Amino acid sequence: MVPTTNVRPTVYLDHGATSWPKPQPVIDAVAYALSHLGGNPGRGAYAMALSASRAIHEARRNCAALLGVPNTRDLLFQPGCTMACNLMLKGLLMPGDRVVAGSMEHNAVARPLAHLARLGVDLEIVKADSTGFIDPDDIERAVRFAPTRAVVCLHASNLTGTIQPVGDLTDIAHEHGALMLVDGAQGAGHLEVDLAALGVDAYATSGHKGLLGPQGVGLLYLAPELAVEPQVEGGTGGGGSESAEMPAERPDRYEPGTANTPGIVGLGGAAEFVAVHGADQREKEAALVRRLHEGFLEIGGFRVLGPPPGVPRVPVLSVVHESVEADRIAFSLDRTYGIATRAGLHCAPWAHDTVGTLGCGAVRFGVGWGNTEAHVDLALQALAEIVSS
Amino acid sequence: MTARTPQTYAVFGFATTHAALDAEQLLKDLGISVAPVPVPKALGGELCGIALRVHLSHAERALTLLERADMSPAKRSEMQDV
Repeated sequence: MVPTTNVRPTVYLDHGATSWPKPQPVIDAVAYALSHLGGNPGRGAYAMALSASRAIHEARRNCAALLGVPNTRDLLFQPGCTMACNLMLKGLLMPGDRVVAGSMEHNAVARPLAHLARLGVDLEIVKADSTGFIDPDDIERAVRFAPTRAVVCLHASNLTGTIQPVGDLTDIAHEHGALMLVDGAQGAGHLEVDLAALGVDAYATSGHKGLLGPQGVGLLYLAPELAVEPQVEGGTGGGGSESAEMPAERPDRYEPGTANTPGIVGLGGAAEFVAVHGADQREKEAALVRRLHEGFLEIGGFRVLGPPPGVPRVPVLSVVHESVEADRIAFSLDRTYGIATRAGLHCAPWAHDTVGTLGCGAVRFGVGWGNTEAHVDLALQALAEIVSS
Repeated sequence: MTARTPQTYAVFGFATTHAALDAEQLLKDLGISVAPVPVPKALGGELCGIALRVHLSHAERALTLLERADMSPAKRSEMQDV
């Protein structure tokens, strides 16, 4: 049933959680897939199934081109970034392995790592500084301490917006024979990502955040020849169906079950959109988050988490007020002003613990491609009224 | 009504649908007529997914082009059709 009540916010500032509204080409692509691509992709050879297969093939090409993946079969569609992170970590790390991870990780990585630690993986957590930045020297010390199978670090924090030095960390990991595994949920789209140049071994990302696609689809890049154990088995449609084993070839090895055609085709449309508009989008996001940051400093009484003004960040900005609790601020913003933000721990307790906000949480503002200066100014005006009342 | 002469085609099998579609695109781009077909029994019992059918007269050229692009089929057979 389609709800008839208008629940659209006046101002949407929760792009850290998911992008909204979606670009029209994304909506059109999803609608087209639902209307015309009804066959099961990768299975039948009849025209409608082939159309679905070809649309997914094209979507993969679009995404690979956007992210700098030379061979499209190394880019896997997953049900989301969380599932992609689980495959990346559980498919690579075995009991007895040592892994070095940063302390800003989201639960999409923290929880699989905790699970693996219970199974016997040796987990070493390297603490970020008070702005959420992971110092490469600290990672190097940790990796040098003992043979390490992998370094795990997010590309950018969903709490502080801090951009991590993934290129430097990759070099360090590789110098010491370790893999570099990245959770790029807040990276792709908000940052220009060229995976071939970055040289990471695996990179998971969300389709519905900076990439502006629909929910329910994410991406996982695996470096060529990287042996990852599948975590879900099932039908793949292609050759080798008579075997009880998953096929050795990508992408089928990691994409069992009927594909999410509408989601994937929508993401393909989104990748095409971001390829054209991404640079403008990033410039606009940076200007808006800077305006927001400066506005908080003007109002006063707020601790702004993450890097200081002028230091590049992805467009999320979290704050703690000296006297008004985070949940009250978010509630008032929504109920009184129709401004959507997110209060709490943002599924990132490690990160909150790192920056000292585990006990109180924070209110997060995430700006995105649909926002304007007027949105930011409205939010700042509302905040000034809330904290002074 | 005149009966059409049966035509002989080469059929190429691939490990994945993705690989088959890569190959289809390449051959189309290079001007070779190619059609996806359900995987025939002649390809050796792997009956899921799609195979590519190319007229026998173009088969060797198609194979050469696929090999050059590192897209060689996993299996090859022939079929007749009208």
